[in-house]
Amino acid sequence: MGLPLLSLIVFTPAVGAAVLMFLRSDGAVRWTALAVTVLDLAFCIAMLAGFDTSTHEMQFTEVRPWVPALGITFALGVDGISALFVFLTALLGAVCVLASWVAIDRKVKEFMVSLLVMQALMLGVFSALDLFLFYVFWEAMLIPMYLIIGVWGGDGRIYAAFKFFLYTLAGSVLFLIGVIVLYINGGKTFDILALTAKDLPFGVQSWLFFAFLVAFAVKVPMVPVHTWLPDAHVQAPTAGSIILAGVLLKMGAYGFLRFSLPMLPEASLYYSTLMLALSALAIVYGGLLALAQDDLKKLVAYSSISHMGFVTMGIFALNLRGLEGAILQMFNHGVTTGALFLFVGLIYERTHTRSIADYGGLMKVAPVYSAFLALFILSSMALPGTNSFVGELLVLAGGFAANLAVGAAAILGALLGAAYLLGMYGKVALGPPSVGVRFKIRDVNAREVAAMLPLAVFVLWVGLYPKPFLNIIDASVHHLLAHVHGEGSGQ
Amino acid sequence: MTATALFQSIVASLPEIVVIIGACILLILGQFVQKRQEHFLVWASVAIVLMAASATLMLASEVRPAYTGMFIADRFAVFFKFVFYIATVLTFLLSRKYTDIEGIGSSEYYVLLLLALSGMMIMASATDLMSIYVGLELMVLCTYVLTGFLRQERRSNEAALKYVILGAVSTGIFLYGVSLVYGLTGTTQLDGMAAAVTGDPLDPGLLLAVVFIVAGLVFKVGAVPFHMWVPDVYEGAPTTITAFMSVGPKAAGFAVILRVFLNPLVAASDVWIIVAVIAVVTMALGSFVALVQDNFKRLLAYSSIAHAGFALFGVAAGGADGIASVMLYLLIYAFMNLGIFGTIIMMRNGDFSGEVVEDYAGLAKSHPGLALVMLLYLFSLAGIPPTAGFFAKFYVLVALVERGFVMLAVIAVLLSVVAAYFYIRIVMVIYMREPEKMFDPALTPMVRATLAFTAVGTIGIGLFPAWFLRLAQHSVFGG
Repeated sequence: MGLPLLSLIVFTPAVGAAVLMFLRSDGAVRWTALAVTVLDLAFCIAMLAGFDTSTHEMQFTEVRPWVPALGITFALGVDGISALFVFLTALLGAVCVLASWVAIDRKVKEFMVSLLVMQALMLGVFSALDLFLFYVFWEAMLIPMYLIIGVWGGDGRIYAAFKFFLYTLAGSVLFLIGVIVLYINGGKTFDILALTAKDLPFGVQSWLFFAFLVAFAVKVPMVPVHTWLPDAHVQAPTAGSIILAGVLLKMGAYGFLRFSLPMLPEASLYYSTLMLALSALAIVYGGLLALAQDDLKKLVAYSSISHMGFVTMGIFALNLRGLEGAILQMFNHGVTTGALFLFVGLIYERTHTRSIADYGGLMKVAPVYSAFLALFILSSMALPGTNSFVGELLVLAGGFAANLAVGAAAILGALLGAAYLLGMYGKVALGPPSVGVRFKIRDVNAREVAAMLPLAVFVLWVGLYPKPFLNIIDASVHHLLAHVHGEGSGQ
Repeated sequence: MTATALFQSIVASLPEIVVIIGACILLILGQFVQKRQEHFLVWASVAIVLMAASATLMLASEVRPAYTGMFIADRFAVFFKFVFYIATVLTFLLSRKYTDIEGIGSSEYYVLLLLALSGMMIMASATDLMSIYVGLELMVLCTYVLTGFLRQERRSNEAALKYVILGAVSTGIFLYGVSLVYGLTGTTQLDGMAAAVTGDPLDPGLLLAVVFIVAGLVFKVGAVPFHMWVPDVYEGAPTTITAFMSVGPKAAGFAVILRVFLNPLVAASDVWIIVAVIAVVTMALGSFVALVQDNFKRLLAYSSIAHAGFALFGVAAGGADGIASVMLYLLIYAFMNLGIFGTIIMMRNGDFSGEVVEDYAGLAKSHPGLALVMLLYLFSLAGIPPTAGFFAKFYVLVALVERGFVMLAVIAVLLSVVAAYFYIRIVMVIYMREPEKMFDPALTPMVRATLAFTAVGTIGIGLFPAWFLRLAQHSVFGG
């Protein structure tokens, strides 16, 4: 490999952000940002095209010394678990730029710079193979996200930005201590692969598991540390919500997959029932909260809590179906919920209200919009033929195999999902056109279709033919499971 | 002392001699400087520091004990001296316009700063409690005067008076500790002390002496329970002097603390427990009290208390990594703190004081570049990667966990979350408020250069810490 493809993927948005700082007109800023994200997406497609699905080994690896005195390296690489998320991040990056085209009308340059910096950091998180590097990317994301929520958000943006920042920071610092303990106990290296190969005593694993749990549970978010999410989602601008729901929430689950499971296998097995119970709680509680919402964005935000519960359930089912389903469902949730936030953003730009009660009969005034919305709603409630069906089915199969009660709770959550999503769609799109907003709504234009079309493609592609996606993750999941259970049974 | 030994001693202390002679010459020449010629003073002072710096560099290759064991020119001292040089030169550059505005730009201002610098340099090199005392007093006497330099302002006078009284008390405590050490061991040399008491390190008399010495030193770095002077002095002093004091004398205090504490005598006497308690309380107090401050200088005073607490965690950790982590912390702190003070100094223009946090509302709208560097300093102070502030904290935590003090590390990071709140609150004011008035910062080329230099340091050390880390690790004495 002559070309450092992953470095290109990670640093293209960062370089793009630097270039943007020298541009003057808003138009040039928008087009440049779009060009950068599309170029980045092209690199990701090239990466996936060259991805070898037959091995669990890290691919496209690059290792450079960074701080040799502490054993820190600049190491990048992807395997079956991270490849999909690198791609998802790049895809949503382009969607975010399109979603912010007219929605962001002041400080456009600063916004696009923050967005691109954010994207570079997110891509870095998914491709880092060094714990220190991972932590730097992970934590540095707070800066652009704080600004995106706090500067361009809604009326309660400052409160939401503070809450997001402090919640995440408090979770992350314990993770940092965990990382350092791991470093000291694991032979003074931050190399993720080397640390995975270490066999730590159960006591250390236990402590580390909870230190990591705090950080990842806040990001996922799992009940009871989910309360930052509705505020952040509702107040963030559309692109911010898409990033939060599409990518940031995945990072918590990715953390479980990359660190908790492989590095702390015995603790993960030991506490899996606890984690399953918390997941079931999130599924049902999130669903009930979503059922009670009148605000469109809040509804989608709470549904995310419920859906991410499925993901953590699949992970801690610790069997093949559960894990594959969880990873696929992470990808699906990024696509579908990203799209739903995009749709809420689009309609909010037109009417400046997010209250479900203000809407009605959108099907008549905006048929294209309503048709696409129907697709994503059905996807979100996991109708057969859409992406989430495949993922959720796998997760449920895994969940039932692991624990009957938890599986049953998940079914209840799925029913709740159908209730609040269909209820919302019925009120918003069907029925008589509402008086308040009837005349102001125009249907989607070409730019908006361009933003939603790729997402729709993935909804149907994964729904109808998931094999290529499962192929990518298959080898790595098999390896991970063998590792967890191998260590667990005392080999 | 033979002639050769004297000559070698003079060579070893050449940088100090350069600074002191330079200060004396400047004091005389300064009388002939006309109005509107004050920039001569700045450049002459900078030149003196640069000469001392090159002398230091030339001597850095080997360890040179001098003055019969009172003084040593080793790599540890060289590292700290460079921190002092950076702090002093940047203070000079920031002072030019500010002293004009405040009307305090006489030659004494620069001379006193140079003499304070020489005091700090002696502290970094001192290996005897008496030479530590000489350096310490030289430094603090100068800063007492500089604190009261705004003669027309009550706040400044009050601050200076408080500083003198409290400082004198702490010096007295320190000297009492020294006298106890001398009475019990018959020496004041750090090495001699250790050799004299290897038998029973927990002699209660010695422990008392150590506690007194600790108390005296802790005053200088502004740690609890001797922190009360910090907010008043920081608020009342001219802002340039506040910037200087928050970096230079603090680093000098830590240099002495490291030398004293890592002496085998002290290391054997479980003093780390005291240091750990002081560190926790200091950081907690600094972080929590800063939450409710509206005055920017006062807020930074409490922030500097919190940072002193964090650096003390490194002292508590001890060992080669612990020492190196404190040294790296102080170097990085010099960059980010001088940077943020530079922006406050720059805002002082016309009738705009820039001392209240709310004064900065909406700065990002009219001055995006300035807002960006402030953002950088603030996130660095909060310890968010990829800034240097994160790496500084990270290395201290590594040293703590390595020694097995995981609980201390957890306390340290949780308190730094509290501290993050007031830094991001300032970012919020800068970025998320609408501007209420026009900004007219005094952006002279010198101030621009200072801000650029500190900003590059703040982000540069964060992205490429390897070289600086090695520098700190190589400068640790004896390890």
